[in-house]
Amino acid sequence: MTFPMQSQHSSPDLIVHLGPLTLAHPVINASGTMEILELADVFGEDVLKSPPVGAYVPKTITLKPRQGNLPPRILETPAGMINAIGLSGGGLEAFVGGSLPRLLTLSCPLILSIGGFSPREYVELAAGLRQALQAGAGDGWTQRVGLELNVSCPNVHSGCLLIGADPGEIEGVVSAVRREWPGLLITKLTPNVTDIASIAAAAAGAGADAISAVNTFKGMVIDRRSLRPFLGNVTGGLSGPAIKPLALRAIFEIFARVEVPVIGMGGIRSAEDALDFLACGATVVAVGSAGFTDPWLTGRIASGLATSLSERGLTLRDVVGIAHRREA
Amino acid sequence: MPRYENRESGHECPGRGSRGKAVRVFGWVAGSERLGSLSWLTIHAPGFPAAGPGQFVLLQPEPPACFLPRAFSVAGQRGEEISFLISPVGPGTKQLTNLREHDPVWITGPLGNGFDMDTLLAPPMRRAVLVGGGVGAAPFPLLLDCLATSASGPDLDVLVLLGFRNSSQAEGGQPVRAAAARLAAGGASCRIEIATEDGSIGKARLVTDLLAAEQRQGDRLAVCGPQAMCEAVWQTAREASGLSCWFSLEANMACGVGSCHGCASLRADGSLALVCRDGPVFTGESLYGVGEQE
Ligand SMILES: Cc1cc2nc3c(=O)[nH]c(=O)nc-3n(C[C@H](O)[C@H](O)[C@H](O)COP(=O)(O)OP(=O)(O)OC[C@H]3O[C@@H](n4cnc5c(N)ncnc54)[C@H](O)[C@@H]3O)c2cc1C
Ligand SMILES: Cc1cc2nc3c(=O)[nH]c(=O)nc-3n(C[C@H](O)[C@H](O)[C@H](O)COP(=O)(O)O)c2cc1C
Ligand code: FES
Repeated sequence: MTFPMQSQHSSPDLIVHLGPLTLAHPVINASGTMEILELADVFGEDVLKSPPVGAYVPKTITLKPRQGNLPPRILETPAGMINAIGLSGGGLEAFVGGSLPRLLTLSCPLILSIGGFSPREYVELAAGLRQALQAGAGDGWTQRVGLELNVSCPNVHSGCLLIGADPGEIEGVVSAVRREWPGLLITKLTPNVTDIASIAAAAAGAGADAISAVNTFKGMVIDRRSLRPFLGNVTGGLSGPAIKPLALRAIFEIFARVEVPVIGMGGIRSAEDALDFLACGATVVAVGSAGFTDPWLTGRIASGLATSLSERGLTLRDVVGIAHRREA
Repeated sequence: MPRYENRESGHECPGRGSRGKAVRVFGWVAGSERLGSLSWLTIHAPGFPAAGPGQFVLLQPEPPACFLPRAFSVAGQRGEEISFLISPVGPGTKQLTNLREHDPVWITGPLGNGFDMDTLLAPPMRRAVLVGGGVGAAPFPLLLDCLATSASGPDLDVLVLLGFRNSSQAEGGQPVRAAAARLAAGGASCRIEIATEDGSIGKARLVTDLLAAEQRQGDRLAVCGPQAMCEAVWQTAREASGLSCWFSLEANMACGVGSCHGCASLRADGSLALVCRDGPVFTGESLYGVGEQE
């Protein structure tokens, strides 16, 4: 099966390889912040023909349908936002029967995010997706589709975050999924731990091909009228520019510890922000909440990155991890 | 002459089935007028499609005071000029009401389902009742202009009931009055009644007091306002069985297009709807349930 590369934002300098996937540029969306099929309904099909992202990541898929948390679920906070969606969605069957066939026609690679409430659920999800892809995506699908384990959602009361905070649990889940999933396997980490680098090392040691970080920081907001928790779920996850310095520190530490590529995110809204993440060691960067303002932001950041790199006379390869190098 | 007083209504009103796709465009402020405690903001938005009544947009000035854009009902539209009735309640709305002519603003839309004019005016009834609370009057100038271009005639009977906190907020009703006058000029009957909570105009009363006095069997209501008002309207409508209501809801939003799942609102059957994608207009039954009739 041929895989047409998008032309709009690609320039030879920006092509990156993430395991078997080839991305026209290193700017992707963060899971749960861009539903490309919804965008197509609202803005028209063009977004499917030339997606602004280097790879597309849908919302985390769970085994069973989930309604998610009670409202209110979001609020703007200083330099960002807090959310407690709680992994709402139609579940594996609805995804495989509904969105997946349409997503497979995208001209960019696909990274499917899964979230479970036990190690067994992750395995079932990975196996279910593999079977669907083997049946419906043609030969060579592993070159177009990767898997991301969301072991890091702070908004569900059991399951993924507990797994994500314990190196032993992470090892168990990653190695079990590894046996079911032949393609690119990414583990997405929570920053709500004491030592994120040791969690990353556990994931990489168990067979993860890449590390994605960070998910949101656990936080809360008080309703000023009632002086009670504002969010229906009481606590939520903080994202946006407010978390960028925290996220950069996490990427810096992970890069220093593991050999596998890192997908960096947390508060990115400009090419300069993206460059900061690359400097700390990210090979690919993801845009989350800032994309709510502008669904095409990933593409604009990619263009800005190309300009910025050429102004500095640097290549992508030069810049990844440059902050770790002492010499000028 | 204030912008909302334009003589012709001149808005092509797209039905739910015939709407163009949404766009995100860079516009600029064409005018901003204080109406008591509310503001009438007009943005020039090149290439912006015609909005249906009850549809909304996301606005974000450049540079923005806030991280996320804010949602506003389209209150009026003439060609590429789109107007909003805005209540300054926080940093986002305050920045918008303080903008000057030519200030740049990103505008995304039109979004959401809007009021279904065909069911609101389904035969044999040619009467519609609009109920607004405070800045909830916002969708009605556009709705009245749509009626003026597509449904006007001597048999059309429109009643607009507006509730405001006080006379200062009630000044925000002027664009509704202007649109009602345009509709009446086309031969339809269109009457506005205003209630103020503090009695600064007429007796102190609520919009639901007006509704209780004016409602007729079989009335169809388009409602927009604070949650407590919407619930009271539903209660009143249920007591006078036979009224149908469509409510335009508010929710905190991030994306406005179904990406974030942040704007969820609880329905009567316990399920959650996304206000931006499934709404913002919902039937009373879906929100509050049918319950037992007293
Ligand atoms: C579909 C739709 C249409 C709308 N149409 C209009 C319109 O036509 N005109 C209009 O004026 N508005 C409209 N709104 C409402 C408008 O979007 C909001 O008023 C706006 O987003 C407020 O932004 P802000 O930055 O000014 O206030 P924010 O600071 O965002 O505050 C928003 C609300 O949340 C409350 N809040 C914030 N923080 C807290 C806290 N910690 N505890 C308790 N409460 C808190 C505030 O009191 C306020 O009521 C609409 C909303 C929707 C969803
Ligand atoms: C509304 C919302 C929903 C999210 N849903 C998911 C999700 O389903 N799966 C996931 O792995 N991360 C989810 N995230 C986290 C983001 O993918 C990202 O890791 C985080 O927001 C940090 O990036 P940002 O600061 O650019 O938003 C969500 C974030 C937000 C704001
Ligand atoms: S505002 Fe994002 S889904 Fe409705």
